[in-house]
Amino acid sequence: MKILIVDDFSTMRRIIKNLLRDLGFTNTVEADDGTTALPILQTGTIDFLVTDWNMPGMTGIELLRSVRADEKLKTIPVLMVTAEAKRDQIISAAQAGVNGYVVKPFTAVALKEKIEKIFERIDAGK
Amino acid sequence: MSDNSKLRLGEFETQVKDGAVDLINRIETGDFAGAIKIIQDLSEARHNNFYNEVGYLTRSLHDAIRDFKVDSVDQIVDQVDGASKITDATDRLNYVIDMTNSAANTTMDMVDSSVPVASQLQDQARDLRKDWGRLIQRDLTPAEFRELYKRIDVFLQTADESATTLHSNLNAILLEQGYQDLTGQVITRVTELIRDVEEKLVHLVAVAGRVDSISGMEHEDIENEVDDTKGHGPAINSDNNPEVLNSQDEVDDLLSSLGF
Repeated sequence: MKILIVDDFSTMRRIIKNLLRDLGFTNTVEADDGTTALPILQTGTIDFLVTDWNMPGMTGIELLRSVRADEKLKTIPVLMVTAEAKRDQIISAAQAGVNGYVVKPFTAVALKEKIEKIFERIDAGK
Repeated sequence: MSDNSKLRLGEFETQVKDGAVDLINRIETGDFAGAIKIIQDLSEARHNNFYNEVGYLTRSLHDAIRDFKVDSVDQIVDQVDGASKITDATDRLNYVIDMTNSAANTTMDMVDSSVPVASQLQDQARDLRKDWGRLIQRDLTPAEFRELYKRIDVFLQTADESATTLHSNLNAILLEQGYQDLTGQVITRVTELIRDVEEKLVHLVAVAGRVDSISGMEHEDIENEVDDTKGHGPAINSDNNPEVLNSQDEVDDLLSSLGF
């Protein structure tokens, strides 16, 4: 299980990386916005995407839409971890096909719960 | 300073009102030449007032710009020559980003170096407890007992050293929180600057508004909608904004209402 963490702040990437490590996900890669994330995704080695929304260059919602529009990438589970908390934004993320939405500041428990829920759904769908 | 200008504007309004009454009277009595003369007079007065107000706006703008420059050479940055206060504010906010970044990283470094220490203590304690339990049950051979005896000595030493390491790491984390004080001071100063700039801009807008009223200019309202795609950043005062959800629970409720 290889996870790509996309956030423009290196400290936030580090926090998420550490929390994921505690949850047993030790194989992670990082990118600082959608533009740098897409080429990594296109290598086909990423199994799970955790992304922020507000980033320079390509934002998280644009990244999510690009992933869903790409025949090879569209099934990758995407968890959004972001400070963006407007009702309309959450609805557009849901419409764009997000698998989970965690608002910052978040707790380790919330992150764990959402990730587990996403995997439960994937397993149930198999 | 604006009193003069208000007075002028008031005079102009009275002139327009009086002129209008006079104009109608003259048209009704058939004095068209007189009516045209009044229109010309009013037009001329309007022009004069207009140029006065534009002049006043220009001076205010000039003063505002000069004030910013004068203010920028205060105790904050004394070596800067001609650089605006805004540039200084930008530098200050960058300093906040650097400080918070460094504090967060140092704190995480300390946590990263503490976790293995705590794990090691836990592993050793669990191992010892197992054998200690067997000792209580009188289930140990003399050789095992001698070995346990030595291990307890090693463990006690490790526990002492680990506690010292954890103690110093926790202290480092504590000290690192000093960024809050320093960045708080910087942000307070930048907030003051913004308030100052806002006041001056409001004044300029008021002056420009008078120019508009004389010239009869109307501006289209510019749509100020921020694109959701670009993001808004963390919600401030979210309690007062019904469009912003306040907690993960509210987000979860919304998503489950959408069938998630």
